[in-house]
This record gives sequence, structure tokens and C-alpha cells, in this order.
Amino acid sequence: MILTIAKHTFREAIRKKIVHLLIGLGIIIMAISPYIPTTDEPDAKVKMIFVVFFQVVALLCIIGIILLSASSLPNEIEDKTIYGLLSKPVSRLKIVVGKIAGFSALSALMVVVLGLINAAVIHRAALRLPQDYSGIVKARSEFWASQLSFQGDLHHSRQGIQWIEGGSTGVAVWHFSGLGNKGNGRLPFEAELALKIENSRGLDEAVPLTVRVENPATGLCKEQIVSALEDVPLTVRIDPQILQKSDAVNVSVFPIDKAHYVGATQGNVKLYLVQERFAFNYAKALAITFLKFVLIVAIGVMGSTYLSAPVNIAATFVVFLCGHVLDFAKDFSLLIQHSHAHEEVIPGDVERPHAFLVVLDYLVRKPLEWLSAILPDFKKFDSLEFLLKGIDIPWETVGFLFGYTALYAGVCLAISSLLFKKREFF
Amino acid sequence: MDTFAVRTEGLTKIYKDFWRRKSVSALTNLNVTIERGEIFGLLGPNGSGKTTTVKLLLGLLFPTSGKASVLGRPASDLMVKSKIGFLPEESYLYKFLNAEEILDFYARLFHIPREERRRRIDKLIGDVGLQPHRKRPLSQYSKGMQRRIGLAQAIINDPELVILDEPTSGLDPMGSCEIKELILRFKEQGKTVLLSSHLLADVQTICDRIAILNKGVLQVMGNVRDLLSKRDVIEFLVKSLPEDAIREVESFIKRNDGEVLSVKHPVSTLEELFVKVIQDSK
Repeated sequence: MILTIAKHTFREAIRKKIVHLLIGLGIIIMAISPYIPTTDEPDAKVKMIFVVFFQVVALLCIIGIILLSASSLPNEIEDKTIYGLLSKPVSRLKIVVGKIAGFSALSALMVVVLGLINAAVIHRAALRLPQDYSGIVKARSEFWASQLSFQGDLHHSRQGIQWIEGGSTGVAVWHFSGLGNKGNGRLPFEAELALKIENSRGLDEAVPLTVRVENPATGLCKEQIVSALEDVPLTVRIDPQILQKSDAVNVSVFPIDKAHYVGATQGNVKLYLVQERFAFNYAKALAITFLKFVLIVAIGVMGSTYLSAPVNIAATFVVFLCGHVLDFAKDFSLLIQHSHAHEEVIPGDVERPHAFLVVLDYLVRKPLEWLSAILPDFKKFDSLEFLLKGIDIPWETVGFLFGYTALYAGVCLAISSLLFKKREFF
Repeated sequence: MDTFAVRTEGLTKIYKDFWRRKSVSALTNLNVTIERGEIFGLLGPNGSGKTTTVKLLLGLLFPTSGKASVLGRPASDLMVKSKIGFLPEESYLYKFLNAEEILDFYARLFHIPREERRRRIDKLIGDVGLQPHRKRPLSQYSKGMQRRIGLAQAIINDPELVILDEPTSGLDPMGSCEIKELILRFKEQGKTVLLSSHLLADVQTICDRIAILNKGVLQVMGNVRDLLSKRDVIEFLVKSLPEDAIREVESFIKRNDGEVLSVKHPVSTLEELFVKVIQDSK
């Protein structure tokens, strides 16, 4: 029964011109995305293709899905086709579930079709990438240093950054552990160094650094000299042999020449396990995007059990937009709270709280707090950040988002069921 | 098994406004029983409560008070809907589908197996005369064609109770005649038909019993023949009687204290003439 309604919903939606228009527009946008002007970075074009797909094309599709899912039931009620449906042995809950399933299927189709076309565009652009920049089309597992230590003298410390000077005076050492048996001499690791560089001879000049990678258990060590520039991250490949028989590694860095300085923090150097699983990672990103669609469909259908089409479309858009600015709402709420905390130390008879803040408290802060507690946080579904850094999307993230979507969709379904069950059709 | 196909007891529906204040009393204390196998006509002017009654029986509206049972179960029971066929006042159909697709969709909602579904769809499309148009989208159908496919969907599940709301609206006299024949066939098959209409001639020719509603209140209910018969008037229909014999019959009636009100040739209805002319021209 649910399947029949889902298929019917899907068939109705797929025959609408808006779906053809959006898919066509999405394809055109993806086709021109490699030609959008970018910076000179070799991987900038690939990044642009990712951004265009996950921000622009996905947004277009979400607009289409909102328009369709939020208006489907109200249109059935307005056209009175709902009479035919409700006079058949179909429960109202099944109608709602069928609608959600139908639009979810449409979302899946859009994400898969456009995602595959985008994958082809990425593949074409990736073929031209230099080897050093191919990390963006890989799925790397990220490891943070467990500890940062220094050997020799620290030159100075400023704003939380500790500086060492070249000329064998100091060495910064990042300790990594818990790498498991992933290295095991087979899978390649690479270190990404985003160091602060200072050069007495000018900022633009490259600074030669020594990077030493050492296995603390076996003592195996490999050293290489690299040229570093301010604000340009360096990628250093690690010989898989070094990582054998250990789940820990130390990365030591020091400038070769005197009057060259390296600023270090614990997060400056990260280790990546490089896996050729980009397609798999990309599929995970598409799955997360699909979950986002499912969530907005559940919200759209929920509203449609009670509201008219135009009001529900507007309401669903508002929920979607608010779901992207929840962080801002929380920050803003905290800001107002903070300003109140300061007022409390001033005696009331000396200075009363400003009327504007009192109004702001009731009109803005509390609603914002409630909103941020109730509304789904769509920022959680941002898989673009992972792809831009070439980082493998952890299964934990996918699982969490699946649960998050299931929970919200379940709540939406329960509310829809209550609203629709009591609805009369005049 | 309940012998009644439909039974309402004190069925009342009051429409309320946004603030839950009483707005309109659409149906007041309706007590109606429809026996299985009969054709029952629900009559009344616009706004008399006919459609409200039908919607209450289908669970599209909930009663303010009273209760309605259909085929021995509460009207809101989902199980009972598998035995009901409903043709709404207008053919509210999915215009993006064609005749085959819409019948297939509704048949699936009744869990009719694939082979049986195909058989019924083919038969019904043929029965309602839409065989040449079965692949055309419903958006291209005329009102009469939409009415026919609407009727086909109403009986796709071979229902025990068929609820028809203004079934002949939008149909030409030929189509109207076919629908009435179809309704009489339903009766022959043992189905119960609830016919809501304000076309009195249609109801008179096919209904066994009727109920007349006005302003949501039941005014009269009973057998059509009983309600319409004039007990103090007698009508003879005689074929080919000579003028002398007519005068003799008139004088015989007068001798027996009777009064001859009129002696004339009966006229057929315009619908009968229309159907005859069209059929002869084929």
C-alpha cells in the first residue's frame, strides 16, 4: 500500500516540468563549473566543481523538492483527488508515509543522476591534477598529533605559537599514536604541514626545512629537505617501511638556516592515511546529501497535512534556512545572555537594564533558544568540508546523520499522523 | 450479518468556524436505513445535506453526534472501504495519468492481484466505452469521458455498496441512459447502490426507495412507487381503442359515479425520443 502511494507520488512528481527544468539546469551548471574562474592553485578547479555541486546544484534540487513535497497533499485536497484516495482502504498514516517515501525516491534519483554526472566532471578535471595536489580526489583518514614537544631551545613564544630558529638550535616534534595496523607497510601515509614561517630576508622567499619521520619502536628514520613558503601547506609522503611494526610515529621539523623561523602548534602537522577510495567517499557524501533531502521532505509533508500549499512552502523554506543559521542563532542568544550577565552586577537603582535589551530578551533570545533546540541543524549535513580536504568521511558521521534523520523524520511522521488523522475534507 | 447496507442513527453534523463556534448545521438527526441489494436515492436541493451524508459514510467527515454504520461496521472502519465504491460529485482524477494507469493505481490500493487487475481494467475500460482512449492522459478527456472513467474506478474492486454522487452530471442523454442501465445491472448483481442526485427523473426511474432531505433534515423516506402513487386516481393504458369504445368507457365510468379527468395519448419523455433518434441514426 505504502509502496503503491510512493510509486504514484514519484510518478506524479517525475512528470512535472519543474523536475525536468531543475535537472536540466543542474546539468548545465555542472557542465560550466570547470570553466568558472578560480585561483591559480592546481586543485582550485576541482574544489570549485565540488562547491558548485554540493552548494548550488544541491540547493536547486532542494528548492524543487520543497516545492513538490510541501504542495503535494494540499494540492490533492484542493483538487479533491484526496476523496478518491480516502474512500479506498488506505489509512491516512500510510498516505503520509507513502508521500514521504515517494519524494525520498525522487530525491534519490536526483542525487544519483546529478551526482554521477558530477563525478564524471570531477574525473575529467582530476586527470589534469599534478601528483602533489591529487589528495583532493582521495579519501584520507585524518590523524591529529597526540603531543607536540621541542628539542633544544625555543626561540620565543607568541600568541600561543612557539617558534624555533634554524641552524640546529631547536627541533619541533609532533608525536602521533593510535595509527593501528593501518600502516603495516602497505598503505601510504602522508604528513601535511601547515607551519608558520618567518624569514628575515623577506616573506616571499622559500625556507628550507628538514622533515624527519621516525618510528619510535624500531628506530627506523627517514629525513628529507623541503622548501616551505608562508601560508602554503606542504605535503610530505611517508615511506610505508617506516611504519612497520608500530602504531606510532614522530615527525620532527626544523629550519636548516639560521635567521629562519618556524612557528608550531599541535594542530600544525597532521597525518593522513591515504586510501584510493575517493569513489566510496564521494558516495558517502552523496548519501549524506540524500539524508538532508529526506529530512526536508519529512518536514514539507508534515506541514502539508495542516497548512495550505503557499503557506507550507514558505514555512518549509524558513525551517530550511533557519536550519543553516542555528549556529548564528545560538551565538546570538549567548551574546544577549552575556550582556545581561554584565548588567546584573550594576545595582538596579543605579542603572536599570536598557528597555531595548529587555525587549530583545523576550522577542529574540528566547525564541532563538527554542528554535535552536527544536529545529534540525542542516549544517551537520555538510559533507563538502570533507571532500575539499580529501578526508574520508567517518562511518560514525554517516551513522550519526542517519540516526539524526530517522529521529527527526519519525517525529515529523508522528506529528503528521496526529494532524492528518483529525483532518476533515469538506 | 447486518441486513442493512447502511444505517444511520441520529447522525448530525455541525460545521464549526475557526474559533470552534457553531457555524452551519449541515445534517440534523438523520435516521436512515438502506437494505442490501436496493437502489436508494438521496434527494434534495443544493445544500440539503446529501454530500455531507455521503462524506460521513466514507469517513471524510466525522459526525458531531450520532453514528453511521456501513455493511455492519462503523463508517470510519478501513476494512469496510474495501467493499465500497465511490464516485464523487465531480470526477476528481489525477490528470497526469491515463485511463489504464489510474485504474491500475486504484486497483493496487485494493491489493488486487496483477492478472485479475489486468482483466478487470480491460473489462471496465470496454464497459465504459473508453477502449480507443485508454492511453490518452485524462487531462485530454471530455467531462463525459472523465465521468465514465470515474465510474470505472468506483467499481474496480467489485464493491458490495456503490455510492454515486450525481453520476449522470456532465453526461449526454446517451451516456446518462447507459449509466442508468449500469446501475440497474448493479442491482441484478446484488449490489447496493446509494444514489445522491437532484435529477428527479433519473431517481424516479431506477430507485427502489428514496429519502428527501432539506436543510439537513430528513423530510420523507419510503418506497418510490408508494410515495408517488395517487390512490384516488386510476390510469388505464390501452392500445388501439376505437372512438366509439372510448365514449362507451367514459359513459360507463360516469354511470358508476366516477369522474373522467382526461382522455389523451400519452407522451414519451424527451430523453426517450433523443435516445431513439440517435440509435436509429446509427
